[in-house]
Amino acid sequence: MLNIENLHASVGDKPILQGLTLAVNAGEVHAIMGPNGAGKSTLAYVLAGREGYEVTGGSAHFEGEDLLALDPHERAAKGIFLGFQYPVEIPGVSNLLFLRTALNAQKKLRGEPEVSGAEFMKTIRVESEALGLSMDMLKRPVNVGFSGGEKKRNEAVQLAMLGTKLAILDETDSGLDIDALKVVAEGINRFRSPERGVLLITHYQRLLDYVRPDFVHVLAGGRIVESGGPELALRLEREGYERHAA
Amino acid sequence: MIELPTRHEEAWRWADLRHAEVLADTLPPANDLLPEVEQHWLDVPGERHLTVAGHPVGDSAIDTTALPDRSLPRHPLADLAAASARHGATIRLGEGEDGGTVQLLHVGTAGAVHSVTRLELAAGAKLTLIETFADERRDHWLNHRLDAHLAEGAQLTRILRVKTAHGLVSERSAVSLAKHARLVQLVVATAGSALRSEAHVTLDGATAHASVNGILLGDAHAALDALTRVEHRVPETASTQVFRLVAAGQAQVSVAGGISVARHAQKTDAEQSLKALVLKRTAAANLKPELEIYADDVKCAHGCTVGELDKAALFYLESRGIPRLQAEALLTQAFVADALAVIQDEVLRTALDTEARAWLAART
Repeated sequence: MLNIENLHASVGDKPILQGLTLAVNAGEVHAIMGPNGAGKSTLAYVLAGREGYEVTGGSAHFEGEDLLALDPHERAAKGIFLGFQYPVEIPGVSNLLFLRTALNAQKKLRGEPEVSGAEFMKTIRVESEALGLSMDMLKRPVNVGFSGGEKKRNEAVQLAMLGTKLAILDETDSGLDIDALKVVAEGINRFRSPERGVLLITHYQRLLDYVRPDFVHVLAGGRIVESGGPELALRLEREGYERHAA
Repeated sequence: MIELPTRHEEAWRWADLRHAEVLADTLPPANDLLPEVEQHWLDVPGERHLTVAGHPVGDSAIDTTALPDRSLPRHPLADLAAASARHGATIRLGEGEDGGTVQLLHVGTAGAVHSVTRLELAAGAKLTLIETFADERRDHWLNHRLDAHLAEGAQLTRILRVKTAHGLVSERSAVSLAKHARLVQLVVATAGSALRSEAHVTLDGATAHASVNGILLGDAHAALDALTRVEHRVPETASTQVFRLVAAGQAQVSVAGGISVARHAQKTDAEQSLKALVLKRTAAANLKPELEIYADDVKCAHGCTVGELDKAALFYLESRGIPRLQAEALLTQAFVADALAVIQDEVLRTALDTEARAWLAART
């Protein structure tokens, strides 16, 4: 599904990713853990195509296609979803308008017919109820006045609505209390399926108590320095990242 | 030769009047052919009156004599309109009368045209007036004045749409409000040319309320200027001003928002929000709050910001599949929404919103 080979990327003049290699297959959940400043968020932004994150070497392919050649909205239409560490507030644009616009823009790019208003409302009712976000909140401007937990629930609703194949979740657990964490974890578990992949970027092991990863990788100094199963996360929680310090 | 104010005399960055001077002595050509105007009306129910090159067209149900209020303070352009206008529109509403919605469409053809609108609303009368300026894509100058008096408890909603593609529109309104009267004014300018829009509002009775607003959308070489002067002359009056400016291309959009509070006008509640969005670095926006407060027990809040679209918000929308230009349009639409929100009537607001969206879509 996702194949990253020897990826190098810089922000400004500063090299952050320095030869990162990683493969995520459909049906797998990969957790990327690592100390602050290791390049975790940079990896997420590079894969989503954010301006200012410059790829200086290597490659990234999604379902065989060169991901790095696509614009951010084209990557989304291919099925890539970036869950933000800090979801952005957008005054004046309601969640419903935003989601429907996004969904139809993706469909247009894929050559599919647009979703009707009634059909859209039916789906979003189901998803928002499952994730504990009321319709009243969805009528409000995107993330404006939402608590940290509500913002992450909102991300989970979007993840469910947008026909995602690969979810890249950037520290989606940061700033959440235990109840919100469980709801978000449930959203991820609902999303898991043999056709879909998850790249879970996190600093702490906590989220992995609720979302059991198939693989755990340690990102340090801009590359994957160790890989293993769920037990690796437990060891990191015990020992910290000291042994990976540069 | 008429005398118009020059750059030297004017303190603010107004669209240049030299252009008007060139056209000032040119009369519009005599032409029996009516221009295509259908697309210029705002799509809402109500009476419609058309004026082409300063002449009323068809059987007008309203008084078309130009009757400026000569008691108003002198103003070079408004005085010129009063002196030169051949026709105008005068609407008088009796006590408690509901005038409904009236549209006046001014179409410029060529040369200079002066016009006057006069409104007299007796106590408790109510009117929605939509004035539109458009043209036939030829160089011209439309110079307009509106004089309005709102007696006790009268309510006026005035929408001013400027859709000219060429030449200059200069427009000045003077509105006085008695006790309890309410004014809601909104200028929506999508002109490709030059606009000077001035609003002079005086609050002369307690609990009078004026809401003076504007949406100026400038693209290409448009120069769109608005100036307001809201005078709180007596105690316990209120005003709000919301201006949202968008500058694209090489446009220049400006607003000077004035609030003045007289010495004894205690308990004045005035609020002003001026915001501009610059979509291209080749465009410019000027915002200038002008507050003159001589009373001490007043509330005058004002905010003023010029900025570009939020890059983080743009990326957020893009990452969800919305292409860049569409994301820009969505954020820009949200930006002007504050000023549209002043219109309570949903049909009217939706019609104006549709126009603003069309302008944004045409850009992208």
